[in-house]
This record gives sequence, C-alpha cells and structure tokens, in this order.
Amino acid sequence: MRTDERFPGVRWVGEPGRFIRVDAEKCTGCGSCLKVCLAGCFEVVEKTARIRSLEWCMECSACWYICPEDAVEFSWPKGGSGFHTRYG
Amino acid sequence: MNTSIQSEYDVVVVGAGFGGTAAAHYTVRHGLSTLVIERAEKIGEKIISGLTIPIYGFLFGPGFIRDGSPPVERPVDGIINYIVTDIDRGDIDINDTLRVPKPLAPIVAFGYNAYCADFCQWQADEAARVGATIVTGTVVSDLLIEDGIVKGVALEDGTKVESKIVINAEGSQGLLSVKAGIRKKYPPRVISLADTYDYAMKKQDVDRIFGHSIRFLWGWDEQDLAPPLGYGNGLMVWPYGKSLHFMQDQCLAMDDGTVQNLKKRFETYHKNVTGKLPWWSGEVAERVELRAHTWQCFEIFVGLDDELREMPLSTGGMLIIGDAGGLESTELCDGVPSAWFSADIAGRVAQEAIEAGDVSGEFLSRYDREIRNHPIIAWSITAPHRYLLRHAQESHDEALLKKYIHGGWGFGALAHTITPLTLVFLKALRRDPRVMTSWVRMFFRYYRHWHHTFSDNAADPGDRQRHPADRTTGEYIFIFLMWWTDLLLFVFWPFLWLMSYLLVPLVNAMKWTAGFFVALYEPLWVRLLRWLDTGAEKMTKSLTRFAVNAHPDTFGAKRRRES
Repeated sequence: MRTDERFPGVRWVGEPGRFIRVDAEKCTGCGSCLKVCLAGCFEVVEKTARIRSLEWCMECSACWYICPEDAVEFSWPKGGSGFHTRYG
Repeated sequence: MNTSIQSEYDVVVVGAGFGGTAAAHYTVRHGLSTLVIERAEKIGEKIISGLTIPIYGFLFGPGFIRDGSPPVERPVDGIINYIVTDIDRGDIDINDTLRVPKPLAPIVAFGYNAYCADFCQWQADEAARVGATIVTGTVVSDLLIEDGIVKGVALEDGTKVESKIVINAEGSQGLLSVKAGIRKKYPPRVISLADTYDYAMKKQDVDRIFGHSIRFLWGWDEQDLAPPLGYGNGLMVWPYGKSLHFMQDQCLAMDDGTVQNLKKRFETYHKNVTGKLPWWSGEVAERVELRAHTWQCFEIFVGLDDELREMPLSTGGMLIIGDAGGLESTELCDGVPSAWFSADIAGRVAQEAIEAGDVSGEFLSRYDREIRNHPIIAWSITAPHRYLLRHAQESHDEALLKKYIHGGWGFGALAHTITPLTLVFLKALRRDPRVMTSWVRMFFRYYRHWHHTFSDNAADPGDRQRHPADRTTGEYIFIFLMWWTDLLLFVFWPFLWLMSYLLVPLVNAMKWTAGFFVALYEPLWVRLLRWLDTGAEKMTKSLTRFAVNAHPDTFGAKRRRES
C-alpha cells in the first residue's frame, strides 16, 4: 500500500500492472494526455507520448477520452489494486 | 460476505456501486441467484465524488433504501447559488430560492449528502443480507458472447461465469460495452473531470456556517474562479457530518476542440476561489484541514447529444444501468437516482425475461423503452441550463446568466421539474398510495439516524434501549396518524388509482403552463421563505427535537443485522 502527501486521503494498493498503454504508432505527440492528467502520468519524448509512471494514477480515464488518435489504451488495473479512497 | 463463486448464476452484476448493488437487491429478492463483481478491494472506494443524492431518488427509488437507515452525512434543505460578477469588487449576488422551507426543513430534505464508499457498502451489505453473492477485488475483463447474446462474463484470471442476464453497472467509462461494440466511447466534450477536495471540519462549525444548504458558485470566465461557464461546475460545496466536500469540474474539451491544461486550470480555480471568496477565506479557511484530494471523470452532457443518448441500453442477455448507460443528470450532476431507477427497472425486466425464457435483444429492448420513457430520467439527462450558460458567457449578458441559474438551480427549476416529478408520483400512487406514509417515516428516521451518528452530546438519548411502552404522547399521535393515513389511503386506493390516470393530461399540460405560474407565485414564495426562516424557527426546533428523541421504532427504523 502506498500513500503520498501530494494526494492526501488516497491509498494505492498492490501492483496494478500496465493498465494504460500508448500506441506509439498512432500517437502524434499532441500532448493532450499531459494536459488532462492531474497525476502527471505522461511525458512526451521525441514527439511521442509515453507513460512516465502509473504510480499515482487515479484511473479517471481522461487520457483515454481525450486522445484524438485513439492511441491511449485504457483498461482497469488488476482486481483490488490501484487507487482507493474513503472520501469520494 | 460470501466470496465463493459458482460457475453459473441467473444474474451477474458488474460493479458494486449505487446501481449494481440496488439491482442485485432486486433480483435476489425476486428469487434470482445473483453474483455481483466489484473491481475495488473495498466497495465504493473507487467512486468519486461525494454528492447530494436528490430526494426524488429516495422517494421513487428502491424500497430497501427508503425503508432502511443508510449512512447519510447530512440532510440538505436546498441550494445557495453565489453569482460572482466581479470578485475583486465583491459583486456577488445570491439566489437561494430553491429550498425546502422551515419548519419542514431540515427533516423534509431536498436531498441527502453521502460518502460513496459508506453508502455503497451499506447497499452491498443489504444485498448480501438478502442473499446476493458479492466478490470484490475482481475485474471483469470480457463479456461471453454467443450468437450475439451475452451469456456471462470472463474474469481477469480466465474464470468464466455464465448467466442468463448480465446487468452492466460498470460506471461511466463503460469499457465492456465499448469493447463489445454495443456502445461507443464518449467524445471528450461530454466528459467532465471532477477535481474533488475533502476537508475535515468540526460539526459545530459545519452546522453554524453551512447548516443544511449546499453552495454553488458561478462567475464570468475571466475571473478565473471557476471553469468556463457551461463547461462544468465552478464550485460545489457539500456540508457533511464532520467535513466539507468541495468539487470543481470541467469538460475535457471545449466546443472548438481545444484542450486546456486542466492541472493548471484547477489549481488556479481552487487558489482563487478559496483565497478570494469572502465566506471561504474569512470563515471557512481557518477551520478546515484538507483530508483528501481525488478526481474522476463522469459523463456530464451525454443526454444532450441525440446520437449518444440513443445508444443502446441493452443487447441480448445484457442490460446497462446507471452511468454505464450515460444516465448522469446534466444539472444536478448526479447519477444516483437514475442508477437506482434503472436498477429497479433492469431487475424487473431481467426477472420477466428469465421467467419467459427469452433473453433476446428484442425482448430486452422493453428496458430501453422504459428508461427512455421514465419522466425523471428523461428530464434529468436533457435539462439544458448548465449547457446554456456558455451562451450567457458569449454575450456577457448578466440577466441571461441569472436567468439560466434561476432555471437550473433556483425556484425556476420547478417549471421544468414539476411535470416529470408529478408523473412519477402518480405512478407511485397507483402502485400503492401507502408509499406516502413510508416517505414521512423515512424523513424522520433519516434525520434521527443522521443526528445520532454525528451527535457529540453525551446527554443525547441516542439509540438508547427504551421499552416500546415507554412512549411519549407525541409518538403515540405520530403512530396513530400514520396508521389512520395508511388505512384511508388503502380505502381510497381505487379512487386514487383512477385519479392518477385522469390527472395525467393535466400534468402533461403543466409542461407549458408551469413556467407562467412559477413566475407568478415566485415573489410570494420568496417572501414566505424569508419569513419562515425566522418565523418558523421554534416549530423547526420542536420537530427536530421530536425526531431525535423518539423511540427508534416510531419511524419504522429497521434494526440492521450484521451480514
């Protein structure tokens, strides 16, 4: 279980796996995923977005919705893993 | 909770949120073996954000919620809108005309605030208590589809669970439906990202500063207090038991397709609103401590888009409920009542289909029709006022801004809510008019339960064990009145049944006439509200004192058995 003082009230459980992926073939490097991700999960390197870390991902799926090229593949993290909060 | 999974069930429910657990409760109570599969380790802990569940969800939703004592954080009496036209000059108008008047409030509530985790866990416990099997920490990775009919689900470890009906309550992303090609992924312009803050606050401070009212904020875009008008909520503050919940949300994309840097935008709004809004910086800031910061996407404007709204809500072997079907309300931004209504309808259709031995898409399409014809769902997913606010910003017309706010979250809302609410009321009356006394008991029971959950007063009688004979005169009168009302309603049921049909044309006609009458009576209403705020104070106190001191059985409070 992990917590982080930047995101109070949230605990991350277990190993969620690579539940978000970026298809480098489709990505145009527009950076929309960076703009909508409040956890800073993405970075753009050489005009292609890639996952920096899913460690603080809140599984909001904004990256999946926003990608104009459908390059972000989104699925749920492994059962019981990922973010949890009592205060939602 | 029973966590052993069999290979086959009558009904498999995907998702243990507000809708999924309610649907499971229905199907189990109607004799169908039911499995609920939840991806979170703990129920409700992946659901954001906090909320006011509007009262119509409780009145017309699942009976076990109405007749139970769910964990509510605070009864709400209405909305206070802060309309900020110039924050630096302190130009702030208030519209608080959509409120339940005293002495009815706070016992007769406009809605109930709740934490999702607590409330969904309670619903899940109730479903498990009547026999639903609920497994947590498990992801449904796929639907089992044969000849176009959903025959069950596949879990992430490869386990297959067969079912006659899958009730899909997976939430707004709807990944399973998208993956199976039944529904499309929503475009980002109809999706809002809700940035949510939870602040711990002493109960007496919440009571004194907020009471039972939720607060909304609206302001011109250039003030940077709130997301662009018409693209989300500037600030919604919900007073809870011993905390404040705060949400700001914004659509992922603008109409012209541009994408703003939401991380920066939200930080700016939050800094400005907490720093510049007088009541926050002056009264609230020093009394709160940030306890949680979370966010989540939800579908905000799906119902306003003809193509998206018409996407299927069922296919052979599967019914899609709640947010998974795009049923979030556009104005109150609350999906719970629609999730509850659709859960009940889906449960009933599942039962009919299984009894008829026909789970084809054609048979289940009756579910789509019922959802689309449900007056409250239809209204709540198509109400336009929030969306229209963007036009007020474009023309920078203050009168227009206030008009839309009044129509969406002020007394003007009655003009477009009265018809759907009355139509559903008439239907409830037809089914059993005695539901009205269960509402009265619910209001008192919920208030009592809430009071004792958060009471700090050691002298408070609380849930003390009282002998049933040890009743006050007031309690006897209450019980007597309820009993007699039930009897009268039962005797006059045929008459009420007939009236409920005869009144339908009149209620439908109110769609066009209600606006006129609402405008006509509004000045009177506003004066009455003001007068009752002080004039009915004593009576309000008497009523709340009666509610909190009464024997728990007076209001039909069910004693919860541990599951």
